Amino acid sequence: MTFAALGHILPELILLVGACALLVLGVTRVGRAPGALAGATCGVCAAALAATLWAGIPDGTAELSGLALSAMTFYVRWLTLLVGLLLVLLNGRQADPAEQGEYLSLLLFTMLGVLLTASASDVVVLFFAIELVSVPTYVLAALSRRDARASEAAVKYFFLGALSAALLAYGLGFLYGAAGSTSLSAMARAIGSGAEVGGLALIGLLLVFGGLSFKIAAVPFHAYAADVYEGAAAPVTALLGFIPKFAGFVALIRVLDVFGWAMSPGVFWLIWATAALTMTVGNILGLIQKNVKRMLAYSSIAHSGYMLVALLVGPRLGEGPMSNGVTALLFYMAVYGVMNLGAFAALSSFRRGEDEVELVEDLSGLARSQPGAALALCVCLFSLMGFPPTAGFLGKVYIFSGAFSVGADHAYAGALAVLAVIGVLNSAVAAAYYLRVAAVCWVNPERERLAPASGMSGRLGLTIAAVAMIALFVSPQALLSRARTASEPVLSGSVVKGVSRLGLDGASVPSGISAEGYAALSE
Amino acid sequence: MDLGLLKILGIVILLAPLGAAGVCGALGPRRLRDRTHWVSILGVGSAAVAALVLLTHVASRGSGEVSTHEGAHAAVGATIPIYDWIPTGVVGRDASGGGITDEQVGTFPHRWFRVEFLVDPLTAIMLATVTCIALLIVVYSRDYMRHHGHAERGYERFFAYLALFVFSMCALVLGGNFLLLYLGWEAVGLCSYLLIGFYYGKPSAAAAAKKAFLVNRVGDFGFGLGILLIYLTFGTLSYPDVFDMLARNVDAAGTALETSKLTTIALLLFCGAAGKSAQIPLYVWLPDAMEGPSPVSALIHAATMVTAGVYMIARCGAIFVHSETAMLVVAAAGACTALFAATIALVQTDMKRILAYSTISQLGYMFLALGVYAADSAVFHLFTHAFFKALLFLGAGSVMHAMGGVIDVRQFSGLRRVLPKTCALVVIGSLALGGFPMLSGFFSKDEILHHALHVHPVLGMMGLATAVLTAFYTFRMVFLAFSGPQRVPEGVHPHESGGWMIAPMSVLAVGAVVVGYLGVGFTGKPFHTFLEPVIAHTFLAAGPNAAGAHGAAGEVVGHAASGGFLAEYGLMILSGGLSVLAILAAYVVYARAPWMAATARATFPRAHDVLWNKYRVDEAYDRVIVQPLRALGRVCFYLDEYLVDGIIWVISFVPQALGYGARGVQRGALQGYGLAMGVGLAIVVTVVLTW
Repeated sequence: MTFAALGHILPELILLVGACALLVLGVTRVGRAPGALAGATCGVCAAALAATLWAGIPDGTAELSGLALSAMTFYVRWLTLLVGLLLVLLNGRQADPAEQGEYLSLLLFTMLGVLLTASASDVVVLFFAIELVSVPTYVLAALSRRDARASEAAVKYFFLGALSAALLAYGLGFLYGAAGSTSLSAMARAIGSGAEVGGLALIGLLLVFGGLSFKIAAVPFHAYAADVYEGAAAPVTALLGFIPKFAGFVALIRVLDVFGWAMSPGVFWLIWATAALTMTVGNILGLIQKNVKRMLAYSSIAHSGYMLVALLVGPRLGEGPMSNGVTALLFYMAVYGVMNLGAFAALSSFRRGEDEVELVEDLSGLARSQPGAALALCVCLFSLMGFPPTAGFLGKVYIFSGAFSVGADHAYAGALAVLAVIGVLNSAVAAAYYLRVAAVCWVNPERERLAPASGMSGRLGLTIAAVAMIALFVSPQALLSRARTASEPVLSGSVVKGVSRLGLDGASVPSGISAEGYAALSE
Repeated sequence: MDLGLLKILGIVILLAPLGAAGVCGALGPRRLRDRTHWVSILGVGSAAVAALVLLTHVASRGSGEVSTHEGAHAAVGATIPIYDWIPTGVVGRDASGGGITDEQVGTFPHRWFRVEFLVDPLTAIMLATVTCIALLIVVYSRDYMRHHGHAERGYERFFAYLALFVFSMCALVLGGNFLLLYLGWEAVGLCSYLLIGFYYGKPSAAAAAKKAFLVNRVGDFGFGLGILLIYLTFGTLSYPDVFDMLARNVDAAGTALETSKLTTIALLLFCGAAGKSAQIPLYVWLPDAMEGPSPVSALIHAATMVTAGVYMIARCGAIFVHSETAMLVVAAAGACTALFAATIALVQTDMKRILAYSTISQLGYMFLALGVYAADSAVFHLFTHAFFKALLFLGAGSVMHAMGGVIDVRQFSGLRRVLPKTCALVVIGSLALGGFPMLSGFFSKDEILHHALHVHPVLGMMGLATAVLTAFYTFRMVFLAFSGPQRVPEGVHPHESGGWMIAPMSVLAVGAVVVGYLGVGFTGKPFHTFLEPVIAHTFLAAGPNAAGAHGAAGEVVGHAASGGFLAEYGLMILSGGLSVLAILAAYVVYARAPWMAATARATFPRAHDVLWNKYRVDEAYDRVIVQPLRALGRVCFYLDEYLVDGIIWVISFVPQALGYGARGVQRGALQGYGLAMGVGLAIVVTVVLTW
């Protein structure tokens, strides 16, 4: 590894240096100036984003140990940094002035974790990357909150997170045991694909799936989400709804890639059942919530279920977003990140006295006092519902049509179609609770006037989210083509670098770097 | 033909009104207030200018050069792709679902639903009509929506909706495939709903808006099914592709088309047209839609939106002409609606409702024309009708403005002295509508009757009867309102409308007089010649006079040539004479000898009663459709309230119960969650490993 190779991970380095600098700046006099640290954080994100775009899509020639850069890396980088920028806008005034430095620094660390998850080529790096996402979120959930509920939520989150980390590490250990190497590419070669996967590797996969299920809040690892979302401040919840979930799904894509996406019946039905349960449980529990944040927590659980459907469809060569599950998943992730963030941004943009908005009824008559914010909130809710003309509609179309269009030759075509039907029914159920919030905003008389809370930055974030949802419906092809490009390496096996194996269509797919060359590099 | 220019023009036509709607909505309430109309005028005006440039461009270059597509549809128009929107599959993918070659990986030759424009003479005429009339009506609304110099409540909302409507209508017309057509179709429906319910505080307005929306849903359901069936049959929704396949008589799989399937598609599409264009049996919403402000009635419910069905059938002629059944249904529905609505209009007393029934009746004429393979006559009547009917509605609005919101002709009379300008303009519009010789309505209506009598004599006779009734009821309204002793409702101080209202009406009046000459023999029928490339391909070639369709433009238009010179001019003289007689009859009955109307009413009380109650169709629909549905709704409500909510309550109880159970053992939810995770995983591992 040479000094020049560092240029390939410039965005990660910028985040790392920025996060460390913020920690130091936070205790100096500079950091006390209002808005200075938030501005600096925005600057760091923007710089990392600029570095990402300047570097473009990695050509796969970078020589880095433990990291392999692919088109997926590029997608994850810019999406994380873009949504991260919105998150910083939203979180700028969240923490107490004395804790601003730590707070924003932790925010950058979680983003760094997501970036590394996308490019790790070694299970040890993968594990650390995921923990780099998780550990700061435990702290963020409790920081600057004087509420007992927040502390309780953070403690719960931490303990259960530790449990899931143990599962993940345990599972990765099994994989190492089965393959004899920690490199993902070596694992892919050793494990092979399809039916001949050994019991050791299978246990490893199940444990890893369990550990990652916690990150994406899939049933039965979902129980923490409602408590944590309710306890944390709205801007933090916006982050919790996106960052760990994104990292979890990216890691799942990479692990399933090791197994060549050919699932044994057990694994298929496990993911099938998880997806069905996650959608259904999330939506049904969402129906009975009175607390908006709890409701959105269950909504986010349900959305994980939809995304699991896309994961189950998996990449199928050359079929585009309507049937390539990974493309649909990456597209939906971007849309979900923005619309979910928009909903929380709306919630954090007004206060009821000293408190945050908690109950659905607190939003009564919002459209009269703050029509703009109410409209933006409704756009985001309609998008979460999957209703045209918003991007959420297209996202769901891609996911479910993928499940429908696998073709009769697919072993599980019927099961996937059933799953898609369950998903569509769930979307209809979910409409009930989203619409209730919209109705309360517009129809109910005003109960007490909500004061605007967030400053210009919060309003800017909210506006961007709502406008993006409409714009991505009208013209989705820019995001779509990027998601498509990002999922191409998954198809051709170069996410797990240097693997030459049979594609699903039976044709040999060339890889970027030869296996020997890569093995030499990673030592 | 300069495709780049057409693309820019199309984008301006769409985005200028949309932008205006956005600005009105965003800045109207706080900043612009009673200056909001300027934004709307600017947006719609830009669109109108762009539409006129587009029209002249299409006209000057000749549509034959426009083509970008090969095949039968080639000569008709230019398809201008804007961008790819929704991918629908991969080109070359075979039915078995596999088979993408290595070379194709990464290139992804998708089929898409594109956002694309179709620019041809039909589009150009529709766009010019819509935007220009919209511009006049926006100008008119500036004064109409004020009282004593003060802007009405919701002034900015009104202009935002109007601009949004213009955008939607233009999108409907410009869209190059059925998906965009459907989107525009729904969007104009939404705008119509919003504008009918503009005075949403008034229960009747809110109910009328709901009724319009729901009745249209019935039609749109069929329309949606029709589009789905088109997609299933042809594998694409793009006009040129579909029409090309129709011309080659193949479907997506390459097999020959079945007539029965095309009949189904055509009838489903007609469902949508009947809803939007208020034909039997879905016409009931349009009279109630008069609850909206008068400019809305003029623009949406007379001149433009309600003609969308006519446009759609003219556009999809290639589908309809394949099915004689569908053509007959269209013609019969049109003729029946025309006669039926005209009889109801005979006894109504609300000026706007009379005009509404007249609109339904005139739309019936257009459908009749479509059904007898005379789509050019249908579009021509659409064009002339837009002028004189918009004029009449604006005139009614002017009366309403002067009468303080009263529009019932029993409440006032003799207005010719206090509203001289309005009176003159309304008379011009009425003459055109009534088919008075040498005005626009006379020419376009006569042409339809001519074709109808030739193809379906019975339906043609119904059309002729309607023409007589039309002249009679129109002038009944005119004489009741404007002649006789001056009488106004109490407390009203009538005043003639100002320049903002009179000027647009005057422009429309000029149009009502002269636009008919674009379609008469001695001017060379430029209107029909212009449309010929679109129409000749589909309707005329398939019609009963197909041989004539292949000749020069002049012969095409005179394609009912079998009747000869005498038949054509004989009919003109006949229908003109009947119209004049009917007007004279109305003059005698309502201006000279009012006792005759009273006697007639007393002699035939039952007939009057039936007409006054509009054949009790609303009541019948209520009994047959609304009440049973409401009962079903009540059943669903109770099911939801007790059964579904009960189930959800039980389901919600399960996790709580589990939580309590866990708490009993472990004192605290945290361990419970952990336990759930652990047990869940243990079960999963066991199951998967032992599978």
